[in-house]
Amino acid sequence: MAVPGSEHFASRPIDPATLAAQLPASLPIHTVTQEQIDALDPLTYEVIRHRLWSVTDEMGEALKRMSGSPIVTDANDFDFAVSDELGQEVQVGLYNTMLVGAVDLAIYWTLQHRSVNPGIAEGDMFLTNDPWVGGGLHQNDAMVYQPVFWEGKLFGWTSAIAHQADLGGVGLGSFSPAAQDVFSESLPTPPIKVVRDGVLQDDVADVWVRRSRVPMMIGLDLRAKVGANSVGRDRLIAVIEQYGADTVKAVMKRMMSDAESRLRGKLTDLPDGRWRATGYQDQSHTGDRGLHKITVEMRKAGDHLTFDFTGTDPQSGVVNCTYAGMRGGVMLALLPILAGDIPWSAGGLMRCFDLVAEEGTINNASFPAAVGRGPIGPAWLTGNLVAECLSQMLDQAPELDAHVQSACCGTWDTAVIAGLDQRGAVPTPFLSILMDPMAGGYGAQPQADGMDTGGLFCIPMGRVPDVEMTEFLYPVLALWRREEPDSGGPGRRRGGVSASMAVTPHGTSFPIGLVLASNGKAVSQNNGLAGGYPGNTGVEYIARGAEVTTMLGAGQLPADLAEVGGTAELQPCYGETYVAPGEVFTMFWQGGGGYGDPLTRTPEDVARDVREEKVTAAAAEQAYGVVVDGTGAVDAEATETRRRELREARRTRGASEGTRETVDLTDARRLDDNLVAVGEQVACAHCATLLGTGAVGELDLVRYEGPVSDAGPQVVDNAGEYVDGAVHFRQYCCPGCFTAVSTAVVPVDHVDDVTRTSRVLADARS
Amino acid sequence: MAYVIGVDVGGTFTDAVLDDDSGSVIAAKAPSTPPDYSRGVLDVLELLAEQLGRSLEEMLAETHHIAHGTTSSLNALVQRKVPDVGFLTTKGHRDSIFIMNVEGRYLGRSPHELQHVLAQDKDHYLLPKRHALEVTERIDRDGNVIVALDEDEVRTQVEKLRSEGIQAIAVSLLWAFRNPTHERRIREIVAEIDPDIYVALSSEVSPRIREFARNSTTIMSTQVGPGLRDYLANLESSLKQKGLGGPLLVMQSNGGAVAASEAPQQAISTVGSVLTGGVIGSVQLGQKLGHKNIISTDVGGTTFLVGLIVDGEPERDTTTVINHHPINVPTLKVHAIGSGGGAIAWVDAGGNLRIGPHSAQAVPGPACYDQGGTEPTNTDANLVLGILPTTGLLGGRKALSLEKARQAIKAKVADPLGLSVEDAAAAIHAAQNAQTGDLLRKSVVEAGHDPRDFVLYAFGGSGPAFCAKYATHLGVDEVVVPLGPVASAFSAYGLAASDIALAQELSDPAQLPVDAVRAEKNFAQLEDQVRQGLDRQGLKFDRVEIVREIDMRYAMQLAEVTVPVADGPVDAGALQDAANRFEQKYADLYGKGTGFSAAGIQAITYRVRGRGVLPFSPELPPLERAVGEPEAQSTRPVYLEIGQGFVDTPIYDYTTLRAGHVITGPAVIEVPTTTVVVPDGRTGTVDELGNLHIRRTQGA
Repeated sequence: MAVPGSEHFASRPIDPATLAAQLPASLPIHTVTQEQIDALDPLTYEVIRHRLWSVTDEMGEALKRMSGSPIVTDANDFDFAVSDELGQEVQVGLYNTMLVGAVDLAIYWTLQHRSVNPGIAEGDMFLTNDPWVGGGLHQNDAMVYQPVFWEGKLFGWTSAIAHQADLGGVGLGSFSPAAQDVFSESLPTPPIKVVRDGVLQDDVADVWVRRSRVPMMIGLDLRAKVGANSVGRDRLIAVIEQYGADTVKAVMKRMMSDAESRLRGKLTDLPDGRWRATGYQDQSHTGDRGLHKITVEMRKAGDHLTFDFTGTDPQSGVVNCTYAGMRGGVMLALLPILAGDIPWSAGGLMRCFDLVAEEGTINNASFPAAVGRGPIGPAWLTGNLVAECLSQMLDQAPELDAHVQSACCGTWDTAVIAGLDQRGAVPTPFLSILMDPMAGGYGAQPQADGMDTGGLFCIPMGRVPDVEMTEFLYPVLALWRREEPDSGGPGRRRGGVSASMAVTPHGTSFPIGLVLASNGKAVSQNNGLAGGYPGNTGVEYIARGAEVTTMLGAGQLPADLAEVGGTAELQPCYGETYVAPGEVFTMFWQGGGGYGDPLTRTPEDVARDVREEKVTAAAAEQAYGVVVDGTGAVDAEATETRRRELREARRTRGASEGTRETVDLTDARRLDDNLVAVGEQVACAHCATLLGTGAVGELDLVRYEGPVSDAGPQVVDNAGEYVDGAVHFRQYCCPGCFTAVSTAVVPVDHVDDVTRTSRVLADARS
Repeated sequence: MAYVIGVDVGGTFTDAVLDDDSGSVIAAKAPSTPPDYSRGVLDVLELLAEQLGRSLEEMLAETHHIAHGTTSSLNALVQRKVPDVGFLTTKGHRDSIFIMNVEGRYLGRSPHELQHVLAQDKDHYLLPKRHALEVTERIDRDGNVIVALDEDEVRTQVEKLRSEGIQAIAVSLLWAFRNPTHERRIREIVAEIDPDIYVALSSEVSPRIREFARNSTTIMSTQVGPGLRDYLANLESSLKQKGLGGPLLVMQSNGGAVAASEAPQQAISTVGSVLTGGVIGSVQLGQKLGHKNIISTDVGGTTFLVGLIVDGEPERDTTTVINHHPINVPTLKVHAIGSGGGAIAWVDAGGNLRIGPHSAQAVPGPACYDQGGTEPTNTDANLVLGILPTTGLLGGRKALSLEKARQAIKAKVADPLGLSVEDAAAAIHAAQNAQTGDLLRKSVVEAGHDPRDFVLYAFGGSGPAFCAKYATHLGVDEVVVPLGPVASAFSAYGLAASDIALAQELSDPAQLPVDAVRAEKNFAQLEDQVRQGLDRQGLKFDRVEIVREIDMRYAMQLAEVTVPVADGPVDAGALQDAANRFEQKYADLYGKGTGFSAAGIQAITYRVRGRGVLPFSPELPPLERAVGEPEAQSTRPVYLEIGQGFVDTPIYDYTTLRAGHVITGPAVIEVPTTTVVVPDGRTGTVDELGNLHIRRTQGA
């Protein structure tokens, strides 16, 4: 139930016509008729469409040039949008795509609650960081946005959002891992007019920066976002002056309807059905030892999708996000997976789905839940689960297999650093976030390995800062930053590897304070598909009591935690700690999940991976059954033997009895890498064994449960360090040939969907 | 007499333009001669000398300088036809070039490709991991040595690379641009082991912060450096033997130049020099013709290059992207789209006609060159269609075999598609026009411009045969084919007409107000370096123009805005003026009130730009006015429009045309160095300088 008075701030999508009807006469809006939209000529349409793209692109460049925050300038955690008069997003930037699900909510809210008092006028800009209103997913996401007027009518909106390093609250970087509610975090600020008549309002700006531990940087970034909007307005007005407001608006409307109809067309061609996915965040706040579940059922009927999150756990600790976060999570998956080949006119794309969620749950949290980890915890997990559902659906359409992908790096390993930089003439306090975990691994696809250190799926144009930029700005020395072999989930297609890094204080005589927050340490978040294995679990250590400074002076440069000395202190998911001079802090974030059974991977591909140090020789043998000789070539005979042994081991450990029927696969239809359908029957694509019949039955798969170590070296077998609930390795295999159909590391009480026939034969049921 | 010669070595042809101090200009063209391109250079110089009526030695003796540009380094990089090189870097940081800051996944991709995340990849590593090795050493942000260089380990690693057959090593250590001692010591050690190994240091090739771009710039420079070294040494010694009086200069991507002997160490800075030449030539011609917005298209045998000139200024960039890697080379923005006249036509598995991206290159070249090529190209199609004369190119010096062209088209396109050879050739021509139009529109429109606001310039040997058609697809109303003396050697013209520009910069970050003495000292040192650099070119300049700049920013920002510092003494007043200009420019760029004076202003980088103005002004001589109508030399059957087949078409000899002549399409104009098609519905008009302007025929 909502706290009385808080529901006022809960923004939801609204029908444009309804919204328009609510606006006062004092706020006339500019719009066009369907005839004007239909009358556009193709070249003009293309030209203006690209001009609008370059407007957002230039806003991005301007913000990067003006900002003082490396999160913006070197890691690209921000985004932009150009919206129509009612806030529908026409063109969005390719940076943090979760923000796409939140921008329009804030504009709807502003139109509903600000158009009379204080009014929306030419020359205004608004500022907000209220995740219930929208704009951003947690309070660190601050949005500055402006109405653009043409001849006295509201023509459209531009907006710029960026992650701010610190906006107050009890924790460094506004992140309080022990927060019980939002009052430990940065104060959510509903839309407030920060620019009036083209002038930045000093009183408002002062209130804004006063809350921060780094007021100068926040003051600078506020102006940077104002500047980016100015650039956006100037460019947009230039386009209007050249082509006329009606033509430009007609293009904007058509961009959205084109995107919508192309997505609907694609959906229509896909099978109807229901797909499910369930995932976990391990720990919800400092001291917590629970597992917190998000579950989704995706229903696809005709040209429409419904994402139903009913059954998701109640809000808890800091691992919650608002409605905007849930919607942002859906967008992070939907944009690249379903709309990679459709222009991202998000306003149109978002008309193709509905969200169903109970209030007060992890990804639809009610005020006053703490939501500091909103985007990087629950929204991200929401996106990964939606991606899993979409991939299962698309895997049945061979022509769309380029859009199928196992889960990518499942979270952001947060490390806020703060301390005193004593390298200059005047010692200066510093506070920022280590941005290296941007180099996560991508999930594997049916026809391609996951991209190694490909980045984060939710920030298509994200970037890791150069090590030199980190060292330039903060008193640290990076001992290493490297790709980690075996961190990609094994599979017929391998998940992309992730990386690790190690820093030690350098140029400060004080310990550097750390706030840590992450998930995916006890339970995998980077799941494989079609029998592919999960990628690595994340892990952070501090080499407590180490004396690296002495080693360096002696000409030794350690390259491994073991070489650093001191005591390796495992860090929890959530915690506040420090790293003292001489000590070392290491981070190892997540790679991507694998696709298909690794025992079916082409041996030469495994050998190449060993040569390029993506996979160790030991893992090649253990996970892939591929033996590589001293020259890096495949030992074919040993490989064959090894693979036979591994399959035999699966047969021996499983409780499979009797012989099974086989099916004629001549007219088989692909379901995924391992399963095919022949009419109402489901069979193994490899050995033709009949696995099930009819849409409401169970698939006859051999289930195996074992210790987490069965998943391979990439998954650290110490869930007990983080959570109370038991975690195990679970695999389903074909009872005929023992090819893996599903592989996971999950809580023992995890309810999976693997054997439900309707998962793959949904068409037949509906 | 004193001559300036511009030479543009392309994949297929080598062009040269010569101008002298009396203002006259001549041009020549010869086939390129890979793998030893220097023969083609000597060939083309010989042709220039012939035109002058002098011997090669006489001409070279009076040559003020040769400005040389080449696409061969760029072609090698883009096609990844480079030798294996080694990479040495700081322990713990080898993977910088594999992690690629993540951005290696999307850099250099079009907007359309950018959002298609799942179709992207990172499979474009510069080298395998076994060729990337680490050495123990560490320098910090302030240039302090934190861990001494382990010299024994360096030796071990170098031997490991040698055992892999590596003959060139890129060395890029963290913070080496702050303190280059470790990099330099590594070079010494390599030289002790094997003095023939080429070594490039990041502190010299690209002394900028951010190791990934510095690493990739140094590695790419190493991939092309040895080839450039061998080529230039060879060429320079040949030219000296023949009595070259002035220096051989290699043009850089930013319009500057380095002496040939210095170029190999900075190999990467010469990548794209020819591209610069073509765009600079367009700017210069645009000034004469009054065009401010120009799409410059340079269609050679191997490449199709597009540059944009907006409001009279070529679009520039401080970095460029090659094979999805950021490369620290200031350059004019040039897009390479598709391929040129040598693009190969083929039929895919689905039975569709495709053009490119593979090219027949200079060797073997199009089938009709009769050099062993069996793949049909655009050039072959043009010959079959009658657009090109069967008497050959370059005024008959480059013979063409109609028979070979027909054979290739028949076997690879006509038979698979069930077409006649003629119809297949017409289909190739039409597909090339449409595809080029689409690619061009993409690069213009995606840069945020409306092609209808532009004039299109078409040069290069292969462009003029297509330009009227692809311009129509693009929506451009007017096409200019630069003809007259520079004709298809247009890029070489740009090189010959360029002044020599050099810049030096120094990073000295400080909060304002900066001590004026310190600023004065910085500028004095930089100006000295620039003047010395210009002196080292061994040229006589009319005058040297010096411009001083400071990059400023608000405190805590990470990007700067460049502002000029007025001539005269550098005192507190001058610095305050510069700060005021910074605030003004910032407000102009990002909006009033976006500045943040409260944070303070910092001066970060001091820069001096010097321009050595040459005592040459290559004036294109005016063409005689036309009297009466132009006369066609002959007619021949030419197949220009699908559905119309061969139509008897007038053929004009360009040398008989005069200013004011109007030619109504369809027509073919034969120029010694190229062939121009004026299609049906278009009219070509010859201007005062001999250029051809193609516009829609009135009333058509």
